[in-house]
Amino acid sequence: MTDTEESGDRTAHPWPPVERTPRVGAREKVTGAARYGADHAPPGLAYAIPVVATAGKGRITGLDTAEAAAVPGVLLILSHLDDLGIAPAGYVMADGYAFQSLQPLLDDRIAYRGQPIALVVADTLVAAVHAAGLVRAAYDEEPFAVELDAAGTETVLQEEALPLPFLADVVVGDADGAYERSPLRVDAVYETGPQHQVPMELIGGVAEWHGDTLVVHEGTQSAGALRGGLARQLGIDPDRVQVITPYVGGGFGQKNSLQPHLAPLAVAARRLGRPVKLVLPRAHTFHAASFRPVSRHRVRLGADRSGRLLAAIHEVDQQASRRDLLPATYTEITSRLYGISSFRGRQRHVRTDVQTPGYMRAPFEHPAAFALESALDELACAAGRDPVELRLSNDAGADPVTGKPFSSRHLAACLRRGAELFGWAERPPDPGSMRETDGTLVGWGVAAGAYPVMTVPVLARLRARADGRVLAEVGGHEMGQGITTALARAVAGDLGIGVDRVDVVVGDTRVVPHHLTAGAWGTNSTLLAVHAALLELRARLGVPREGPVDVAAAVAAAGRSAPEQDGAEVVAEALTKGPGQPPEAVDRMRAGLVAPAGPEYPGHVAFSFIAHFAEVRVAPAAPRVRVSRVVSVADCGRVASPVTAEAQVRGAVVWGIGAALSEHSEVDPRFGGFVNADLADYVIPVNADVGRIEVAFVGEPDFTLNPTGVKTLGEVALVGVAPAIANAVFHATGRRPRSLPIRVEDLL
Amino acid sequence: MTSEVVTEFTVNGQAVRLDLDPRESLLDVLRERLGLTGSKKGCDHGQCGACTVHVDGRRVVSCLLPAVQVNGRSVRTIEGVAGPDGALHPLQQAFVDHDALQCGYCTPGQVMSGLACIAEGNAGADDDIREHMSGNLCRCGAYPGILAAVRAAAGRREG
Amino acid sequence: MRPYTYTAPATLEEAVRALSEAGPGTKVLAGGTTLFDLMKLDIETPPAVVDIRALPELAGIDTAGPRELTFGAGALMADVAADPLLRRDYPALAESLAKAASQQLRNMATVGGNLLQRTRCTYFRGGPPFPCNKRLPGSGCAAIGGLDRGHALLGGGDACVATYPGDWAVALIAFDAVLDVTGPRGTRTLPLAGLHVEPGERPDREHTLAWDEIVTRIRVPVTAAGRGSTYHKVRDRESYAFALASAAVAVTLGEGGAVEECRVAVGGVATRPWRCPSAEEELAGAVLDRRSARRAGAAAFAGARAGTHNAFRIELGIRTVAEALRIAGERALR
Ligand SMILES: Cc1cc2nc3c(=O)[nH]c(=O)nc-3n(C[C@H](O)[C@H](O)[C@H](O)COP(=O)(O)OP(=O)(O)OC[C@H]3O[C@@H](n4cnc5c(N)ncnc54)[C@H](O)[C@@H]3O)c2cc1C
Ligand code: FES
Ligand code: FES
Repeated sequence: MTDTEESGDRTAHPWPPVERTPRVGAREKVTGAARYGADHAPPGLAYAIPVVATAGKGRITGLDTAEAAAVPGVLLILSHLDDLGIAPAGYVMADGYAFQSLQPLLDDRIAYRGQPIALVVADTLVAAVHAAGLVRAAYDEEPFAVELDAAGTETVLQEEALPLPFLADVVVGDADGAYERSPLRVDAVYETGPQHQVPMELIGGVAEWHGDTLVVHEGTQSAGALRGGLARQLGIDPDRVQVITPYVGGGFGQKNSLQPHLAPLAVAARRLGRPVKLVLPRAHTFHAASFRPVSRHRVRLGADRSGRLLAAIHEVDQQASRRDLLPATYTEITSRLYGISSFRGRQRHVRTDVQTPGYMRAPFEHPAAFALESALDELACAAGRDPVELRLSNDAGADPVTGKPFSSRHLAACLRRGAELFGWAERPPDPGSMRETDGTLVGWGVAAGAYPVMTVPVLARLRARADGRVLAEVGGHEMGQGITTALARAVAGDLGIGVDRVDVVVGDTRVVPHHLTAGAWGTNSTLLAVHAALLELRARLGVPREGPVDVAAAVAAAGRSAPEQDGAEVVAEALTKGPGQPPEAVDRMRAGLVAPAGPEYPGHVAFSFIAHFAEVRVAPAAPRVRVSRVVSVADCGRVASPVTAEAQVRGAVVWGIGAALSEHSEVDPRFGGFVNADLADYVIPVNADVGRIEVAFVGEPDFTLNPTGVKTLGEVALVGVAPAIANAVFHATGRRPRSLPIRVEDLL
Repeated sequence: MTSEVVTEFTVNGQAVRLDLDPRESLLDVLRERLGLTGSKKGCDHGQCGACTVHVDGRRVVSCLLPAVQVNGRSVRTIEGVAGPDGALHPLQQAFVDHDALQCGYCTPGQVMSGLACIAEGNAGADDDIREHMSGNLCRCGAYPGILAAVRAAAGRREG
Repeated sequence: MRPYTYTAPATLEEAVRALSEAGPGTKVLAGGTTLFDLMKLDIETPPAVVDIRALPELAGIDTAGPRELTFGAGALMADVAADPLLRRDYPALAESLAKAASQQLRNMATVGGNLLQRTRCTYFRGGPPFPCNKRLPGSGCAAIGGLDRGHALLGGGDACVATYPGDWAVALIAFDAVLDVTGPRGTRTLPLAGLHVEPGERPDREHTLAWDEIVTRIRVPVTAAGRGSTYHKVRDRESYAFALASAAVAVTLGEGGAVEECRVAVGGVATRPWRCPSAEEELAGAVLDRRSARRAGAAAFAGARAGTHNAFRIELGIRTVAEALRIAGERALR
């Protein structure tokens, strides 16, 4: 086994020419054969349904389960009145495993509306649902605060509350002084409301015990966290927890850690000696996992008369829960998107009575880009400059924060190529100047985005088989982003075999340890490991470091020369981690804890970049914004799988349309929690909301970053979509949106 | 206790006879009783389309259909779309070719809806397809691919 | 969901009998897209359900008749929406169905059940802890002083401001539709305008149908204004959403664009399907142009009462009526 740090080999590996390999697993998905967590149906299955708190905060003073227990078929009702014998799993961002530190069902405290207070298990789903509806609770209610400005919140400075170097306020030069001296200034406050990830797959799965081993089938982005966390919660050896999650029906951050329903589910399965399935009702998912917190951004930009940026100040307040602080990194990109010599960031947390907010696609970068890129549009107007020109003239050379070089930076190329594809040169500068005969206003907007390139430890194992097939077992998760396609392509391309000769196993703790797959680091990190494993495999097969391999013949030959390899297969493993990562990172990965490296690496900083161009139409009668056309050009290093990469960007544009125009989790301060907790009232885009989306890539490999040349894509793709739309709305209407979503009432 | 109702219907051509609690949705019966897990639950309230199946040839959301109501009717699910030899239906192939999916969770519902969309004659123009495929949410945002796949399977070019 | 007994009678007569025998609280089940949905939320808890979906007496659509159009209460939304004659001669009626829900739901839901769909108020559907006089009489109304962006501007009261969410009934009321109703006491005819009631002090009472009565048929008198009609619907997204504001409008135009016949109703903004006689009066004899259309819209919303977050829907509603009149006017001239 090789244990390479970043593999000294910086030369271009012989990757195949870019060919359009169809998505791996597509056949299973279009036939319904793909098995998601809740599709698992072992014999003797029982069904669980949670009961949730209706109080906004306080204590449970009475829990009446008698009527529920009398429902025929009810097997078990778990609550705090029971000793579940489980420990909290700890907060994922504080050396734990769970989306929040609070584990419900352990005591009578209610921290937020929607918190589970009981788990009903029955022979059938109808009985469980029926009984859950009959559980009655009484509460001693306490005052609570769920909005940023409400009485009773508490605001803390991130620097003080989370004294870690990478969470310190970014300060470069004297931004306040430079701002004051700037001839052109923009000073505005931008806000994005709470939002939910709402992957189509509901949270849930099946827990079953095989002897003293717990087997969990559940869609997750972090099989390792479920394994490590459940072991900690149940007090058992992690090797006695198996998590199987070959397909995840969308994650977007919602499924990036252990959720509190699982340990009680495991307890129920153990007590009953039966497998138990739990699929949370959609309404529960709005409180059962994390969400994108409210964030408020004051942005001040100072520039010379030509629009050359002299100073930027970005102050952010982010909603938190009472217990946990989600480390905020809004200023990580706003300090680096442009060559700003003086920057000051400040990030604060506002504690409220909610479940702990967390990661939702481009968690900080989407709101941060909305703020910065809107402000930049305001600056372009003030300076009388074209917004693309303004951005180009403020491009950065080296990283403004550390002074290190970027591993690669092609933002300018994204902007230029995007402008060309979009036809930006035709854009009249004045707002309201494009109008159709029926009075519909048309607007064009642009915005840029960046996202840190992080790298995590990955173990990859390749099995070359006597029949010429290769099996890749990799620590990663397939949530639809296309990781299996990229991996299969990499193996097939390297060995010169067909993609259909490669099988990829991800999301299975029985075969390899798994780090969380999020932050878009999945593909680049797993490719790095597979790249190293391929070199090892070639060595074991005794074939050259490059060029096509007759796998069957090589396996047979290796079997003859090394009889201990048993002739059936030749196995090679590699364990990789990010450049400069300490060995403990690997231990953390093996334990299911988070261990990302980057975006600051020893010799450089690494970001992916993107530029989005949006066309909107605003009809005069009902001024609801429609996005008729988007062009997005990304710099994600080498494109590891064109088909799935394009899909990632198109999907992110659809996300951006939702984020900009309709998605908003409604909060009623009298009740706490979220009110519009279903898919009719939490409005995500439908097919008819989406117009033309054109995607292109710079395609320049980043071999400074790693030998595969691959940066990251899934998150950066969303960064900047919303401000491109908002800027287009301004161009169409002359009205400047400063909070999202932009709904019809904002333009009436 | 609710009295059970004898319910007979066909699923993908096969006769089924079940004693059903009238509270059971067709979706839950397919998934939990008949092992047909291709149909997915995304909301359980008719708000997403992931559970779309055909009943007597028409697309419906199976989560809002009490299973007792399919007595005497024929149900077709995603499992009944490919040929008996496993050959993909042209629309399924078009979904693959146009990468009309990502996580795949909404996909069975999209395919069932797409088949019906074409059969109904609602795939005549792109905007028709967009409108008539809007009852199937896709959080991955595969809508452009879905549009392209339905258009291709309907035998049309872009426009 | 609470347990219930289920029967599926073969004829209307049997259904009426089954309903009476099962007793008060029993519900008829048609497409189930409202009833089963609310039963899943424990908001409807009928002890017994009588399935009328497939009753032969409720089937059938006739849009060719010389005096009236008839729709069996059991006809599917999708079938009525796709009826070629209806689409040509009464586009407002067809569009009100085509723009509702999704094709899957329209393939399940009946045009009779559609009339009796219940509000989408999140406090009503959300259950506890939200007070709701409609769900739990006397508990209060969370929407008043709460998140009322989608709540009613017309016909609300101190007890309830829940919006009637349907589209079809709004179009029907513009065309003076009547209902045939059958029950154990015989058959009667009920104007649609007499079906829904405003919340007043009893928001839990939404309509005038007795619990043991079944709507069998919807009838619409023939009118030339049908051709110059539209159902215009504004939503938060392009499709698969309830109305923020909608308008059903039908006109016939005489010399020089003067309005001869005019029908206006608004949806998504009122506690029941809302006919707007004052808007119709405003237009009578006037030349249909942007100004008169806007005046008609303003007349429709003259009595509007806004809450905390929904005032914008007055202006939106006015513009929706005006826009509908523009579209209908163009159609009337064709
Ligand atoms: C996600 C979603 C989106 C939707 N969007 C829209 C929309 O945009 N616009 C819109 O208008 N609607 C919309 N709807 C509502 C839908 O149109 C109604 O649920 C449907 O029309 C009800 O018809 P049904 O046959 O399913 O009625 P059921 O649910 O079977 O019955 C509804 C009620 O009517 C009673 N009933 C039914 N038939 C009769 C009868 N013949 N006589 C007496 N009583 C009867 C039942 O007892 C019950 O109380 C939506 C629904 C869903 C779930
Ligand atoms: S699960 Fe049936 S529509 Fe969502
Ligand atoms: S492919 Fe993931 S929801 Fe549609």
